[in-house]
Amino acid sequence: MRILSLFIIVLALAFTKASAQDFPYGQVDNDALNMTKYAKDTSAHAVMINEYGTSRIGFDNDYNILITYVRHVKIKFFDNRDFETEGTIVEGLYNSNETRYEDITDIKAITYYKDENGNIQHVELDKSKIFRTRENKHISTVKFALPALRSGCVVEFTYKITSPYLFEFKGWDFQSSIPKIKSVYEVHIPGYWEYNASLAGPLKLSFNTAVVERSCLSYGSASADCSDIVYGMNDVPAFVEEDYMTSAKNFKSAIIYQLVQETNLQSGVKTKYTKDWKDIDYLLKTESFFGTQLKRTSLLKDRLAPVLSGKTDQLEKAKAVYNFIKGTIKWDGHHDYASVDGIKQALDSHTGNSGDINLALVTALNAAGVPTEAVVLSTRANGVVNKLYPDLNSFNYVIAKANIGDHTYLLDATEPLLPFGMLPLRCLNDQGRVFSLDKPSYWIDMTTPQREKTTYAIDLTLQDDGKLKGTLTRFSTGYTAFLKREEIKKFNSIDEYFEHVSGDIHGIKFTKSAVSNIDSLDNPVAETYEVEVNPSDKMVNNRIGLSPFLIEQIKTNPFKLARRDYPVDWGMPSEDRYIVTVHLPSQYTLENPPQPISYGLPNQGGNFMTDFTTDGSTLTFSYITRINHSVYSTQEYPYLKELFNKIILAEKNELVFKKK
Amino acid sequence: MIRAKLLSALLLLISIAAFAQTNYDASLIPKDLLRYASVVVRNEEITTEVKDLDNVSYHVKRAITVLNPNGDNIAHMAIYYNKSIAIKYIKGIAINEFGKVIAKFSEHDFKDVSAAGNSDLFEDFRVKHYIPSITQYPYTIEYEYETRDKQSLSLENWHPVPGNGLAVEKSTYQMVCKPDFVIRYKQFNLPSAVIIGTTKEGMKTYTWQISHVLARKDESLSVDGRHTLTSVIFAPEKFNFYGYNGAFQNWSDLGKWMYDNLLKNRATLPEETIQYIKNLTADMQDPKLKAKKVYEYMQQKTHYISIQIGIGGWQPFLASDVDKVGYGDCKALVNYTQALLKAAGVDSWYCVVYGDHQQKRSLLSDFANLEGNHVILCLPLKNDTTWLECTSQNIPFGYLGDFTDDRNVLACTPDGGKLLHTPKYTTEQNRITRNAEFTLSETGDLAGQISTTFKGVDYEDRYEIVEKAQTERLKDFKWYYPINNIDIKTLEYKQDKSLDPTTFENVKLSAREYGALTDGKLYFSLNAVDHLSSGYKPVSNRINPVTINHGHTYEDKVTYTLPVGWKLDSEPLNVEINKPFGSFSASLTFKDNQLIYLRKLQVKDGTYDKEVYGDIVDFYNTVIDADNYNVILVKK
Repeated sequence: MRILSLFIIVLALAFTKASAQDFPYGQVDNDALNMTKYAKDTSAHAVMINEYGTSRIGFDNDYNILITYVRHVKIKFFDNRDFETEGTIVEGLYNSNETRYEDITDIKAITYYKDENGNIQHVELDKSKIFRTRENKHISTVKFALPALRSGCVVEFTYKITSPYLFEFKGWDFQSSIPKIKSVYEVHIPGYWEYNASLAGPLKLSFNTAVVERSCLSYGSASADCSDIVYGMNDVPAFVEEDYMTSAKNFKSAIIYQLVQETNLQSGVKTKYTKDWKDIDYLLKTESFFGTQLKRTSLLKDRLAPVLSGKTDQLEKAKAVYNFIKGTIKWDGHHDYASVDGIKQALDSHTGNSGDINLALVTALNAAGVPTEAVVLSTRANGVVNKLYPDLNSFNYVIAKANIGDHTYLLDATEPLLPFGMLPLRCLNDQGRVFSLDKPSYWIDMTTPQREKTTYAIDLTLQDDGKLKGTLTRFSTGYTAFLKREEIKKFNSIDEYFEHVSGDIHGIKFTKSAVSNIDSLDNPVAETYEVEVNPSDKMVNNRIGLSPFLIEQIKTNPFKLARRDYPVDWGMPSEDRYIVTVHLPSQYTLENPPQPISYGLPNQGGNFMTDFTTDGSTLTFSYITRINHSVYSTQEYPYLKELFNKIILAEKNELVFKKK
Repeated sequence: MIRAKLLSALLLLISIAAFAQTNYDASLIPKDLLRYASVVVRNEEITTEVKDLDNVSYHVKRAITVLNPNGDNIAHMAIYYNKSIAIKYIKGIAINEFGKVIAKFSEHDFKDVSAAGNSDLFEDFRVKHYIPSITQYPYTIEYEYETRDKQSLSLENWHPVPGNGLAVEKSTYQMVCKPDFVIRYKQFNLPSAVIIGTTKEGMKTYTWQISHVLARKDESLSVDGRHTLTSVIFAPEKFNFYGYNGAFQNWSDLGKWMYDNLLKNRATLPEETIQYIKNLTADMQDPKLKAKKVYEYMQQKTHYISIQIGIGGWQPFLASDVDKVGYGDCKALVNYTQALLKAAGVDSWYCVVYGDHQQKRSLLSDFANLEGNHVILCLPLKNDTTWLECTSQNIPFGYLGDFTDDRNVLACTPDGGKLLHTPKYTTEQNRITRNAEFTLSETGDLAGQISTTFKGVDYEDRYEIVEKAQTERLKDFKWYYPINNIDIKTLEYKQDKSLDPTTFENVKLSAREYGALTDGKLYFSLNAVDHLSSGYKPVSNRINPVTINHGHTYEDKVTYTLPVGWKLDSEPLNVEINKPFGSFSASLTFKDNQLIYLRKLQVKDGTYDKEVYGDIVDFYNTVIDADNYNVILVKK
């Protein structure tokens, strides 16, 4: 589990004065212009001096509900390095149709700088330099570049976005790639609406106040009070991404909102959107994009008949259905937990997103008599799931959970090369919520027994000329087999794959090759090569050295940080095994039998071990690296780093053969 | 209702019939075309008809068989359009392995999206795209579309083999035009001659065809398909370009037309700026010094943003606009710099170039056409032509780097276009020189410093890290050197931006357990500073000549001070090879508990016979062997 502080902000409403205000636009002070670096992060190329945002729910002129969001930012650029990333502002706008859309207005920007004479100059954004692009049917982007940027300048910009989408109440990113001195978000929410707010990331709010604003919204004779809530952070450090991190979203400090309840302005009837899982269960069960699709078993009965004919065993049936869906619908690369266009469309057009494909799979398995539930989840890139309250917005994917006898199988039919019961790495993230038509939903851990596993078996005979000849076999098992198949399939034929591999490992010449089990997905991929190994050292004084780490040497530690701020995400457990056998002609002996090495991680987290045995003429050197967990905490980080250090140290040793 | 349904069913039949005359059964593909192929173009017919100078129609009909999922991206149809190009229609069918029609599609199925990338502030091209989703391989799609372009300067060229992994059964290109429309063309690697004819309507036709072209695979050290691939490129004599008429036969005419129509009136600056520049350069005589001052002023005032808009993306923004907003694309920034230089009394030329780090793509000296993807500025100083890249705020004055060096460019001057050649960075100039001094303890711990200079095109080697904040630098630096457990004490970068620019890198570091102590022997890697990790793979049946774009010289000297009382247990390293394309030497000497390691690697730019490739593979293997050398020490 990721370390993440995600908590609901408990509001204590008080009738006190409103506490936050936007800072004035169009003013710059000498201190900001004269600033040469940011004391709290002296290596920063830019710092956000102040950032203020507000969202307010109100009406437009026709009494349609409208959320008005205003953002106002002031940035100091110490030099020109961040112009590319911070100097162009981009906002995406959504539209459902011609009458219901988000809009951006009131875009303003000013750049202040000092000329040679020390006088403050300013340049304003030219409205004709604001560019709007219709990206596709529903999305437009608006972009503008901040005018007249130069080293040392201070820039201010502001814009307003109006939106009719109450479900998409804008959140706020406290943390970004540059540090911020102050960042404040203020929301005005009339009592007709109730939202959940949650704070992501490890940073704490510096201030948080809430007051009641009397009669802030009136509709006819009725009026409602507003909650006026201010969230603020001071001295927010820049967010720095680390390697082996899943989604930066899990760690970046931000606030997000979810609509819980709405009171109808006319009737006063309350509509609860998401409060309890049982509400969501009901919602999903009845939604056309989810529950309705799961009920369409009749759609599949005919299609499955030929696939299932003659099959009686549940597992056999499930595998047949899984292969049928994989072979019928091609994944379009999009993630979704819903099937908006419906599974019929996907089955007919042979294309669909993960929602279309896997809801079709769930329905098909049920149609075949295999009891199957749908597991809604969030992919790794999408971040961890919100566990504080039921929140469908944090999911973006769905898979199938087939229950056969005492076993459950997690299935994803988007990847044709995945074997039955294995999931793509993107799904192994946190927890998933299991939904079915007849039971309440529940959580499961998104872990599977799958491993990345590679085994090398190398059998060599030392020749008189100092070369070694023999065979090299590589078994790719578990998830590694899936990855290997993907790699092989990138080539148009096995011959082309072999050509590609044959130059891969320095010092080893591949002659003959055979690859088996490419298409039998449940078995390891076995590659066997006849090889000729040239030790890089020449025979000198009747001695020759050979590194037993012939392949996949780790030259430098993948973990390079002295101190780690965020946990290490290894994806899934892995195991690398390696056995090299060397047959020595009678005139040779081994000068330095290697000592076994063993290093283990705490909490059975993994280990590195080498072993050596010999009967004089045949030597066997083996090693194994196991990484048993998918996530390592920052406390475990130094041990993980040391494990790789031990491997690298071991790789430096050589076997030295001596001619008698 | 029923009538209408019947009618549409009838129409469907007719349109499918119009397509399915040819049998696209996958088994009919000649077997040798399958090797290295993920896609086979079964038949392609492109007809370009210049109906008028402002009315060019392109009719494309193409049938391709996709053999495996690697070919799906080629089956992904994408048709670009903008204000000048209109899509008239698109339609097609999908066919299964056995030649049976399984689906049809039309323009309605295509998604309409902006062609702008994330880094573009604006781009007026859009694209309609679609891929039929077919799960069974092989499958064939046959599609047909027509576009109409209002300009006739930039005509679609013919590249029947657009990339690797694609075989061609048959491809035909036909150019149709009025008898008085003069078309110039240049052919590359064409197996059969053009057929020139006349239609019964009296239109002139030029027809090119190729058939049975085998698929190719990726080959390292090969560039520019023009060496070996078939293509025909076109240029009109008279044209209309976004409302501007013109005519050209050579680079001089084209450059003149561009200057007169696209550039001439774009360079006006506010009087205030002109005055400022005059003052800035008032006490300077040497035009080069003036230019340097102006260039540095431009750099601190502007930054690059991609904006593709207006006149086919060929006309720069007004200089006065750039003066105000402080950003622009390459055209805008070159035009602005040119205007500023003019204010300082220095003449300069706006030059169109193909910018490419991977290959030196030259404008053709014997064929003028509208080509290029970038512009730079040329200062035609007497006996000292100087070149300026205007899109970077940090690049030194007069420095081009490997993006635009050593290639033909078109200078657009008031006197007409001139084909010029940018300077070359030679093997000797592109140089990384490294000097490292380390001490190694009895337990294998390493401490010391590395000083490195980067020159020529290698000046930009550390471009990314130099730009970064120090905390980020410390992280990224660790990827440059294969020193395990590296702990950086200090890290400094300096850049000398003179006319012979140099990047300096100085690092002080230590590394615990750099060496491994086992059984009284100390093992460590000799080359900690400049380790080649991979060379080139052997290939069979190479087609392309070997091209080395830029020569480089890498020289390293590493001194290890060893603990007292140890001696060398491994055989000293001493390697030297000389080849026409490069040389390598590495040696180790041991004296008074000091171990001195010298390494020099030189590769020479040029195009070499394809047979040389095997030698290059061997050469790099020798280098890697030497780089992998492990020192073994034992106690005396």
